[in-house]
Amino acid sequence: MIGDGGVDEEEKYLAAGIAGLQQNAFYMHRALDSNNLKDALKYSAQMLSELRTSRLSPHKYYELYMRAFDELRKLEMFFREETKRGCSTIELYELVQHAGNILPRLYLLCTVGSVYIRSKEAPAKDVLKDLVEMCRGIQHPLRGLFLRSYLSQVSRDKLPDIGSEYEGDADTVSDAVEFVLQNFTEMNKLWVRMQHQGPAREKEKREKERSELRDLVGKNLHVLGQIEGVDLDLYKDIVLPRILEQVVNCKDELAQYYLMDCIIQVFPDDYHLQTLETILGACPQLQPSVDIKTILSRLMERLSNYAASSAEVLPEFFQVEAFAKLNSAIGKVIEAQVDMPIDGVVTLYSSLLTFTLHVHHDRLDYVDQILGACVGKLSVVGKLEDSKATKQIVALLSAPLEKYNDIDTALKLTNYPRVLEFLDQGTNKVMANVIIQTIMKNKTCISSADKVEALFELIKGLIKDLDGNLDEVDDEDFNEEQNAVARLIQMLYNDDPKEMLKIICTVKKHIMVGGAKRLPFTVPPLIFCSLKLVRRLQSQEENAGEEEEDASVTPKKIFQILNQMIEALSVIPVPELALRLYLQCAEAANDCDLEPVAYEFFTQAYILYEEEISDSKAQVTAIHLIIGSLQRLHVFGVENRDTLTHKATGYSAKLLKKPEQCRAVYACSHLFWVDDQDSIKDGERVMFCLKRALRIANAVQQMATATRGSSGSVMLFIEILNKYLYFFEKGNPQVTVASIQGLIELITTEMQSDNTTSDPAADAFFASTMRYIQFQKDKGGAVGEKYEPIKT
Amino acid sequence: MNYIIGAFKPACNISIAFTDGKNRKQVPMKKENGQMVMVPLFQSQENISGKISIEPALGKKVEHNGIKIELLGQIEMYFDKGNFYDFTSLVRELDVPGDIYEKKTYPFEFSTVEMPYETYSGVNVRLRYVLKVTVSRGYAGSIVEYQDFMVRNYSPPPSINNSIKMEVGIEDCLHIEFEYNKSKYHLKDVIIGKIYFLLVRIKIKNMDLEIRRRESTGSGANTHVETETLAKFELMDGAPVRGESIPIRLFLSPYELTPTHRNINNKFSVKYYLNLVLVDEEDRRYFKQQEITIYRLAETT
Amino acid sequence: MVLVLALGDLHISHRAPDLPPKFKSMLVPGKIQHIICTGNLCIKEIHDYLRTICPDLHITRGEYDEETRYPETKTLTIGQFKIGICHGHQVIPSGDLDSLAMLQRQLDVDILVTGHTHQFTAYKHEAGVVINPGSATGAYSSITYDVNPSFVLMDIDALRVVVYVYELIDGEVKVDKIDFKKTTTT
Repeated sequence: MIGDGGVDEEEKYLAAGIAGLQQNAFYMHRALDSNNLKDALKYSAQMLSELRTSRLSPHKYYELYMRAFDELRKLEMFFREETKRGCSTIELYELVQHAGNILPRLYLLCTVGSVYIRSKEAPAKDVLKDLVEMCRGIQHPLRGLFLRSYLSQVSRDKLPDIGSEYEGDADTVSDAVEFVLQNFTEMNKLWVRMQHQGPAREKEKREKERSELRDLVGKNLHVLGQIEGVDLDLYKDIVLPRILEQVVNCKDELAQYYLMDCIIQVFPDDYHLQTLETILGACPQLQPSVDIKTILSRLMERLSNYAASSAEVLPEFFQVEAFAKLNSAIGKVIEAQVDMPIDGVVTLYSSLLTFTLHVHHDRLDYVDQILGACVGKLSVVGKLEDSKATKQIVALLSAPLEKYNDIDTALKLTNYPRVLEFLDQGTNKVMANVIIQTIMKNKTCISSADKVEALFELIKGLIKDLDGNLDEVDDEDFNEEQNAVARLIQMLYNDDPKEMLKIICTVKKHIMVGGAKRLPFTVPPLIFCSLKLVRRLQSQEENAGEEEEDASVTPKKIFQILNQMIEALSVIPVPELALRLYLQCAEAANDCDLEPVAYEFFTQAYILYEEEISDSKAQVTAIHLIIGSLQRLHVFGVENRDTLTHKATGYSAKLLKKPEQCRAVYACSHLFWVDDQDSIKDGERVMFCLKRALRIANAVQQMATATRGSSGSVMLFIEILNKYLYFFEKGNPQVTVASIQGLIELITTEMQSDNTTSDPAADAFFASTMRYIQFQKDKGGAVGEKYEPIKT
Repeated sequence: MNYIIGAFKPACNISIAFTDGKNRKQVPMKKENGQMVMVPLFQSQENISGKISIEPALGKKVEHNGIKIELLGQIEMYFDKGNFYDFTSLVRELDVPGDIYEKKTYPFEFSTVEMPYETYSGVNVRLRYVLKVTVSRGYAGSIVEYQDFMVRNYSPPPSINNSIKMEVGIEDCLHIEFEYNKSKYHLKDVIIGKIYFLLVRIKIKNMDLEIRRRESTGSGANTHVETETLAKFELMDGAPVRGESIPIRLFLSPYELTPTHRNINNKFSVKYYLNLVLVDEEDRRYFKQQEITIYRLAETT
Repeated sequence: MVLVLALGDLHISHRAPDLPPKFKSMLVPGKIQHIICTGNLCIKEIHDYLRTICPDLHITRGEYDEETRYPETKTLTIGQFKIGICHGHQVIPSGDLDSLAMLQRQLDVDILVTGHTHQFTAYKHEAGVVINPGSATGAYSSITYDVNPSFVLMDIDALRVVVYVYELIDGEVKVDKIDFKKTTTT
C-alpha cells in the first residue's frame, strides 16, 4: 500500500497531509470561535480526511495522526460547550454520522461518544459498545489501528469500571472488559493482517514497520490490566481465555510472541500463578517459529521474582503445583518444537531451574530432575560447540551454586557432573572456576572424601589435561587457574583425622595426574594440609596419651604420603621447591620425634642440593634454609647430627662466591651452639667455624688487594666481629676479649688502609657495632662487666 | 399567459386567501422560474376554503361573463411542455355575469377534496395542485389568477415491513450477505444493517451505500427513466477478510427524499433503491441494488 | 603523620586461601601511605591486591617467592626513621633477637621489620625497634605453633612511632598498641 516513491516522496506526502490538515483545522477553529456547529463539522471532517491517505509509512502516519489528535481534543471541548449550551448530545451523536466518508465520520463519532459518556445521558457501556462496533467499518489495517487506538485513548478514563463514575449495573466490569477485549481483538486482527498488504519483496520492511505498531495493540492489554474490577475470577474465566483465544487463532509469529510477553508483563504475578495451566496450555498451540523459550523464560523469571518477594506467597506455588506444570509444559514445548536449537532447550531448563531454586529450596530432587532432563537432551546433540548454548549451560550450572551458596548441595546432584560433560574444555574450565569461586566466596568447607571426590570430578578441567591438551592457554591464565585450585585445597577440611586423611588421599589421587605444569601449584597446598593434620595428631597424642592412637592415621603414614608427593615434584624438576618442602617435613617429623623420618627427609634435601641445585644464588638460599632448619632440629642423635652438620658446613664452604662462603660458614657456627639445648654447646666447633670464616674473609681481602678496588671484606670482618660478640655474650669460653679486640683492630686498620676504598655501609655497620659494645658496657651489671675490657 | 398579464396593466386585481391562511403550515416550493415561494400545505380530504377578492383598477369597472374558481391537480411532463393532464378538476361558480365597480369578495369552499397524489417536482415531471380563478370576459380576454398549494400525504407505519436480506456474489471471488433492517423507510428513518463477508478473494478498496432515485415517465415505448444518486455513503474503508461483518447505519434525514410514487395516474413513477457498491483496488465496481419504499410518516407534534 | 602497613608471610595459596575477610575489610585504599611486606606472598595476585591498597609498596623476597626481582633486604626512610626490611630466613637462628639485632646494626636502621617465624614480635633494641608482623593469613609454620593472623600498622609522627598490632583471635580482631620514641642521637 505504501508508495514506491521512497523516503523523500513520503516526506512530501506527509508535508502535504499536514498542510491540508492545518488548513482545515484553521477553518474549523474559526467555526468553533463563532459557534458555527455546521461548519465545524464540515471542516473537521475535511481535516480528518487527510488521515485517509495510504501513502505514509506507519511512522509518518503516526505524526499526522498526532496532529489530528490534538485538533480533536479541541473539537471535543467545543462539543462539551455545545451540549452545555443546550445542544442535545444525542442529536450531536447523530449529526456527526451524516459525514459521507467513513474515517472522518468515525473519528467524529468517537469524539462525540466521549462527550456522550461524560454527559451520562446514556450508559457508558451502550455508547462504548456502539463505538467499538461501528469502528468495524475501517478494515484498512493502518487506518483501523489508529482509529481504534483513538477510541481506546478517549475511552480509557470512561470505562464502566467498578468505582468509576461511569460504573453501571451489576455486570459493569464485564461490560468494560468486553469493550476492551473487543477493541483488542479487532486491533490485533488488523495488525496481523497488515503483513499481507503490499508486495512480497517488501515483507521484511513491512514486518519491521508492523513491529513498530505493536504497542498500539498491546496498550489494550495494559488497559485490561488496570481495570480495577478484573479480579482473579474474571481474569481466569474471561479475560485470559479471550486474549489467548485471539493470540492462538491469529497464527502470527510476531503477534503471538509479543502478546504472550505482554500478558506476562501486564498482569499480576498471582494471576499468572493461578492460571498457569491456561497460559502454559496455550504455548504448544503457538506457531512453531515463535520463540516460546523466551516467553516461558520470562514467565518463570516473573514467577521466580514473585516467589523471592516474600515467603508468604510460596504456599500458593505449592498449591497450584507450579513446578510440575512448568516442567511438563517445557517438556511438551521441546517435544513439539523439534527444530529448537539446543541453546533454547538449555535456556528453558535454566529458567526452570532458577524458578525451582526460588520456590522449592528444599527440593534437590527437582533440581536434579531438571539437570537430568537437560542431560537427556544434550546427549542427543553431543559435545557443545555452540557458544550460546555453552553460555546457557554455565548459567544453568551456576544457578544452584548461587542459590545455595554452598557447593555441598551441588555435589549431591548426580546429574550435575553429567551436564558438565557436554561442555568444551574452555567452558569446562570456566565452570570449574565458577565452582571454585563459589566455594571461596562462601567459605564453604568441603568435609568429606566423597564430596571431595565429586568436587574434583566437577573441576577436572582444571586438574588435568582433557582432550589431549588442544588449546594452549596463556601462562598468566594458567597460573591463575592453578592458584585457584591451590586455594580450593585449603577449603577441604574435616575435624576427624581419619576422614581428613581420606580427603588428602583423594586429592592426591586427582592432582598427581595433573602433569608437570600443575604439580608445583597443587602439591604444596596439599603438603601443608597434611602437615597441619600431622600437627593435629601430635597434639591429640599429647592430650590423649597413647591408648587411643588409631593405627590407620599416624604421622608416619602421612609422612610416607608426603614423601611420595615431594618426590613427584623433584622429578619435574622443581628442586628448589622440593627442597624447601623436604625441610618442612623434616621439621615436622622432628616435632613428632621421628628421627629416622626426619633424617630421611633431610637426606632427600641434601640429595637435591647436591644433584639438582646448581644456580649459585639458589644454592645460597638453600644452604641458609638447610642451616636454619638443622639448627632447629633436636631429634637427632649425635651420629646423625654430626653427619648432617658436617655436610652442611661442607656445602657452605663450597659455595661459589667467597663472601657467601664466609657468611654460610659463620652461620654454621650456630649448628654447634643452641641456646636452649645443653647438649649442643660445642664452643670449639663454633670457634672453628668462625675462624674458618675469618680465613675466607682474609682470602677475600687478598683478592681485593690484588684486584685493587673491590672492598667487601671489611663488611665480612664486621659481620664476623658481630658473631664473636654474639658467642661472647652467650658465654662461649672460646671467644675471648683478646680475639675480639684483635678483630676490632684488624677492622680499624683495614678501614684506614689506603688500599680500601671507603664503604659508607661498612662504616655505619662498624659504628653501630661499636655503639653496641658501648651500650652493653653502659648497661652495667654482669653484661657490662663482661664488656668492660673491650676497648673501642 | 403570465407574459400577457405582465405586459398590460390588469383591469382588476384578484387575490386568493385561504380561510386558515395565518395558521396553516407554509412550505417552500420551487416555482418554474426557480424561485422559492412559501405555499400552504394541505393533505388529501381536507376542506379547502377561502375568499376571493376582486378589486377593479381605480375608477374602472370590470365587465365580466361570470367568475369561477377551479381546484386543479395537474401533471406536467417536461418533454411535453405546456400540456397539463388534469387528474383532478373541481369548479365553483362564484358570480353570474355582471359588472364589478368596487372590491367584491367571494367566499369559496371545496370540501373534503380528494387529493391522492403528493406534489412532486422531478427531473422530467411535475405534479402540482393549484387554485385557478377566472374572470371571464368577452373580447378583452379573461382574467386568470393562480394560487399554488402543496399536498403531502402521510402514511401510517406499514403493518408489514420485512427486512431485506440477501446473499450475493461472484463465484469463487466474492460472496457476501447483506441485510437491511426494513424494506420500507420513512423520510427521517435510519437504515440499519450489516454486511457479512463470506468469501473475499478480491482486494476491496472500499464499500459505499448509495441511495438512488429512479423517476420514470411516460409509458410503453415513450418511457423515460431518469436515475439520480442522492446519497453516497461510505460504509467501509479497506479490505475485509472472510468472516468480517460491517455495520450499516445511514440516517435518511440529510437527504432530499420524497415518498415512493408508483404509477401516478399512469404518467410517472418515482422509486428508491439502495445500491451497495464494492470497489476493488483496480477500481472495478461490484454492486447490488435493492428497492426500498419511502413513505411519509405523519409527524407527531 | 604517616601510616605504614607492615605484613608478610601470607603463603597464599600454599598454606592459606586468602587474607582473612576481616582484615580485607580493614585494609581500604587511601589510608595507608606505605606498605612494607617482608615476603612470601607468594603469588602475583596478592602483589596486585596490595598495590590496590597503596601503590607505595616495599617488598623483600621470602624463600617461597617466585618473583626474583624482590631484593633480599631493603632500606627506606620515612620521616625521621630509617627502616630496614628483610624476610628473615637468612637470619640464623630464625627469629633470634640477638641475630636480628646484628642485622639491624648491619643495615644501620632505626626500625627493622622481618618475618619468617610467623610470630608477631615488637621490641625495642638499643636505640631501635625490631618488628615482626607475623603471618597475615595465620599460615602454618614449622617454627611457630598455633599461628594467629596478624599484621602491623605503624603510625610514624616525627620522632615517635606507634605500632598497632592487629591480631585475629577466634574470629575477633584484637588490637595492641606499642609506643616507641627515637632518641635524637646519631
